[in-house]
Amino acid sequence: MKFVCVLCDTQMKLEETTGPVEGSLSVTFACPSCAHRIALLTNPWETQLVRALDVKIGGRSSAPEPWEFVRTMLAAKREGALEGTTPSAEPSSRDFGETSASSVEPLSRDAQAEGLGAGPRCPFSAVANRAAEAASLTWDPAAEQRLERVPDFIRPMARQGIERFAAERGYTRITEEVIDEVRGTLGF
Amino acid sequence: MKTYWDIVGDGGSNVAAQVEAQTARLRGRMAHVRRKVAVVSGKGGVGKSTVTANLAVALAMDGLRIGVLDADVNGPSMAKLLGVRGRSLKAGPDGILPPEGPMGIKVVSMDLLLPSDETPVAWHGPAQQESFIWRGMMEVNTLREFLADTAWGELDLLLADLPPGTDRIAHLTGLIPDLTGCLVVTVPSEVSHLIVKKAVSAVRDARWAPTLGLVENMGRFTCKHCGAPEEMFPGGDTRAMATAMGIPFLGSIDFDPRLAAASDRGVPFLLSHPDTPAGEALTRIARTIQAWMEAE
Repeated sequence: MKFVCVLCDTQMKLEETTGPVEGSLSVTFACPSCAHRIALLTNPWETQLVRALDVKIGGRSSAPEPWEFVRTMLAAKREGALEGTTPSAEPSSRDFGETSASSVEPLSRDAQAEGLGAGPRCPFSAVANRAAEAASLTWDPAAEQRLERVPDFIRPMARQGIERFAAERGYTRITEEVIDEVRGTLGF
Repeated sequence: MKTYWDIVGDGGSNVAAQVEAQTARLRGRMAHVRRKVAVVSGKGGVGKSTVTANLAVALAMDGLRIGVLDADVNGPSMAKLLGVRGRSLKAGPDGILPPEGPMGIKVVSMDLLLPSDETPVAWHGPAQQESFIWRGMMEVNTLREFLADTAWGELDLLLADLPPGTDRIAHLTGLIPDLTGCLVVTVPSEVSHLIVKKAVSAVRDARWAPTLGLVENMGRFTCKHCGAPEEMFPGGDTRAMATAMGIPFLGSIDFDPRLAAASDRGVPFLLSHPDTPAGEALTRIARTIQAWMEAE
């Protein structure tokens, strides 16, 4: 999987990997030209597929230990079956990526000269921020409660979908009625 | 806009290099193994594992350095059959040191890692109900680690005991592209032949590896009252099947209850009963394989 910044037609670089939290992995990519950032959020099944591939998102900084995969992923192991190895815990963020700090390449000189290295680095961010401010949304507690009923692994996606729907219609508050409207329109 | 193919690399994870490193590690390990043979059958319950264990012993008795990979991740039995069940694996500087069974046979099996007889192989995951989506990949990566990270040392032959079916043959040949060949095991029943023929065709059509030959297991048994040999499964002619499929018929192994008893004790039958019809048949088949290896 590769990501391209559409505006710059430049490959985006992996910047940070966090999680998995409740089975979801967040992988942030940034455009080295304009510094526009996006995040890839996996659901638990996608996270598990990454696990099953035995690759590290963010790359490896050291060679894997012998039988690291099976020792980490096997749910029940005989005590003492493997002598002289580091005890393996349940899969954690370590099993996905070792990138917690930015691994994105520094901004190009041109980008720095344009002041993209400081503050909001996307040339469209000012416009985007104004739009975001104008459409700053608040959630009614009842609407939040409705959202809580959505399975946790798709909740962030559902939230984004509802907010996008509301923003497109100029709503400033998300109420239960808005959620009903979303369900009626988008079939959520 | 750039397409996928216009871009070199994946932006930071370098997944391709990680996979290449895995492949290189596996290739380096397998370079010290002269021959790699998969023991397969489309059908379950035909005695693949018992045949594998006893062929390993027969070949080791002739002085060959043998390793056995239990490629049946979910139904591992080689540790039991070769008497290393419950033994510990040790981490050495060159990888995981496998326990050694009779005649110095090196054995790697998932069974060595499981905590009890009742414990099935289960993986950490979001939900076991959907595990069919990803557990195939888990198993392939387990086999890759078993092959690549085990300190097999120099081997003349690595025997891989595969589970029933043909899908694992594809997985194994994906891991070991230079797999020397497949040894196919069947019982002489029409039902078994029906399924095993498909496995032979699959191996041949996909060109995964040459089929070294067909072994008939439980061909006959000796009546304990009159001593007369009788057919276990009347009707199936395994030799004719091998001829029809264009593969060598390597021999027939008689059913012998002592073989089952020896397996349960974890003592290979061939060690305790080399002079029985079944023991002699196993030795003959092993010698045929050895002759073929030397001719290669």
